[in-house]
Amino acid sequence: MAKMPSRAKRTLRISPLAAIAAATAFALASCSGTAAPGGSVAVPTDAGAVTGELNILVSSAKGSDAGFKAVNDAFAAKFPNVKVNFTSVPNENYNQARTSRLTAGSIDVGLAGPKELPSYVPAANMGDDARLAEAGGFVDLTDQAFMKKFTPSVLEKIAYKGKNYTVPTGLSYYSGLTYNKKIFADNGLTPPTTWDEFVTLCEALKAKGITPISIGGKDTAGIVMLSVVQSLYPTAQAKQDLAKSLYENSARLDDGKQLEVLQKVEQIYTYAQPNFAGSNYSQMTSEFLTGKAAMISDGTWNVGSLREADQVDFGYFPLPASNNAADNAFLGGKVELTLAVPSNAKNKPAAMAWLGVFADNYKAFNEKAGFAPAQVGVEGDPFYTEIEKYTKNFEPAWDTIWIPNTKAGQAANLPFNWTALKPMGQSDAQAAAVAAQKDWEAGK
Amino acid sequence: MRSSNYIVFGQRWTAQLTFAIGISLVVLFSLIPAVGILVISFTDIRSLPYLPTSWVGIDNYLTFFSAAQIGYNLAALKNTFVFALAVTFFQNTIALLIAVLLNQRLKGRNFARAVVFLPTILGVTVIGLIFSLIFNPSAGPAAELWAAFGRSTAFFGDPELAMTLVIFVQVWAGIGVAVVIYLAGLQAIPPELYEVADIDGATSWQKLRYVTIPLLMPSVTANTLLCIIGSLQSYQLIYVLTGPSNPATQVLSLAIFTQGFGGAQGGTVQSQGYAAAISMVQFVIVAVISLATLAYLRRKETVL
Repeated sequence: MAKMPSRAKRTLRISPLAAIAAATAFALASCSGTAAPGGSVAVPTDAGAVTGELNILVSSAKGSDAGFKAVNDAFAAKFPNVKVNFTSVPNENYNQARTSRLTAGSIDVGLAGPKELPSYVPAANMGDDARLAEAGGFVDLTDQAFMKKFTPSVLEKIAYKGKNYTVPTGLSYYSGLTYNKKIFADNGLTPPTTWDEFVTLCEALKAKGITPISIGGKDTAGIVMLSVVQSLYPTAQAKQDLAKSLYENSARLDDGKQLEVLQKVEQIYTYAQPNFAGSNYSQMTSEFLTGKAAMISDGTWNVGSLREADQVDFGYFPLPASNNAADNAFLGGKVELTLAVPSNAKNKPAAMAWLGVFADNYKAFNEKAGFAPAQVGVEGDPFYTEIEKYTKNFEPAWDTIWIPNTKAGQAANLPFNWTALKPMGQSDAQAAAVAAQKDWEAGK
Repeated sequence: MRSSNYIVFGQRWTAQLTFAIGISLVVLFSLIPAVGILVISFTDIRSLPYLPTSWVGIDNYLTFFSAAQIGYNLAALKNTFVFALAVTFFQNTIALLIAVLLNQRLKGRNFARAVVFLPTILGVTVIGLIFSLIFNPSAGPAAELWAAFGRSTAFFGDPELAMTLVIFVQVWAGIGVAVVIYLAGLQAIPPELYEVADIDGATSWQKLRYVTIPLLMPSVTANTLLCIIGSLQSYQLIYVLTGPSNPATQVLSLAIFTQGFGGAQGGTVQSQGYAAAISMVQFVIVAVISLATLAYLRRKETVL
């Protein structure tokens, strides 16, 4: 008799759970997969017509934040009826912030970088931004008047399937080394142009008790590896060929030039400060600024803050990882932050007006941001004039061409397995390369 | 026969109402998202507008256990277990000893209690910053101390030392709460038992072993369980101290975080559905271990 109520209770308890599951499934189904409007919006010319709020979300960096502030001030002067909500988020949290605000539809201008998928890469590896571009999640900006102000070759680099969804803010280069001109001069050294010269230079510095290269192991973006790849595969075509042959399994990660990449990275690590695996970016920079290290493995985005610190007279040269000087002639780089307007933006007229103001005031922006300019006729920091011979031909860096295979193991993500090399990891170059090849093959 | 409900609620509708509000909050913010995650783990949702979501069945789970990922995931699992076991063991033993010490009549006892509890108030980011500075391999105090022994290491960057250091920091950060729970348990032990033990001629060690610890078992159960569940899922300190993708200290919950939310610009490589699948695997592991621990400790409680 007492058992009956408990059985009734039990059946009652199961169905709420099922109901919750069903409700969740319905909710998920309804809030995704809606078709995007697409279509273009003209830049409004009547300042009075642009009203409401404008929400801008970018990732934070000292230079670009100051640059955007200059643009916002110019915008407020031209379109006084718009309230600008400008938010800049630390880079590590940017993706998270953008995802939640995109879903809520509360971004009018944000950052995006849709990368076209080459034919040899399976569709499952398309990145988030490329998927959004395919689904019409960004407004097509190709025919907007302000796009004409930017350098056509730069626009070509960031186009997606022939259309421009993003506005470039500048270029940066990172396959080189920032060096202390005084230390070089005092020791009778000049920037090396071949690998052997580079090794000789580092050995000479080490003998004098100066750290040849300071590396911030804890938060490094793997620039040393990218610099070596730049010399061993100098042109975009060479890099594309490598990527294609890896995907088609006609090249292996554990022999030939691919293994050479890891071997050279391993050797460069022997010229870094002791225990660099525990140093972070700011510790690395301070070693350079206090003259303890002669060079740092860094990108040109740091030019502004090095300039401000005003402690070291610095220059930049490509890291020569090849013994053929012609291979080391040009720096690898990328287009810096690129701005986009999501299709679900609530205030598209204001977003377009803002982008127009950005294009008009690009000079003021770049003076603060310190990038290599993306507009013809705009002069960047004199530093960029100095490295002009290395940037005459723009070479895209490896990480702008390589698309990782989500089905492969972690060691084959980049796919050069530098994180496993001592002292960052526990292997030598051969073991790291073999591990990467094994993980790559697992994703076939 | 009275039904058991009567004793809990009585005739008072206020108690029922507040209970209902409480339970509805738990359902809304805990149960529904948890079931939602289970549903999501069978899809390839990307949590972005305009992207279609499709049902992929157990694909995400197959990817997790696939030959390509299994090596990495097993390493993460191993790290998780080592971390959880070490933290639980050291945190509880040290906390117990500190609690016994702080339960005595000592001068400055209140000050000592405040100092022991202080790390709990500091946030994860502050603790991370403090220890990053202390363990700065080129100029920090720990490096100088290490050099006095003639050794040098990269501390958090050293793949062999990183895990030990992270465990140390986690224990340091969590000891306050454990001490408070043990203190409460200690103060519930009737002092007459100690007097009886004194009369029987027991030494301090024997008093600890035969009076204190058996009567403290409920606190031990509570603390151990909290610690195990917490440390199996803890990733915040590891993220702050050694970054999101350091293989030496990669734990399962950190893998979920990076897969689910990515990091810098560029988005995640896998879908959030995959992150949800890892999350479900972690849930099963935590549930099995916690239930086993609970059963074992409960049995020990009654035995003692």
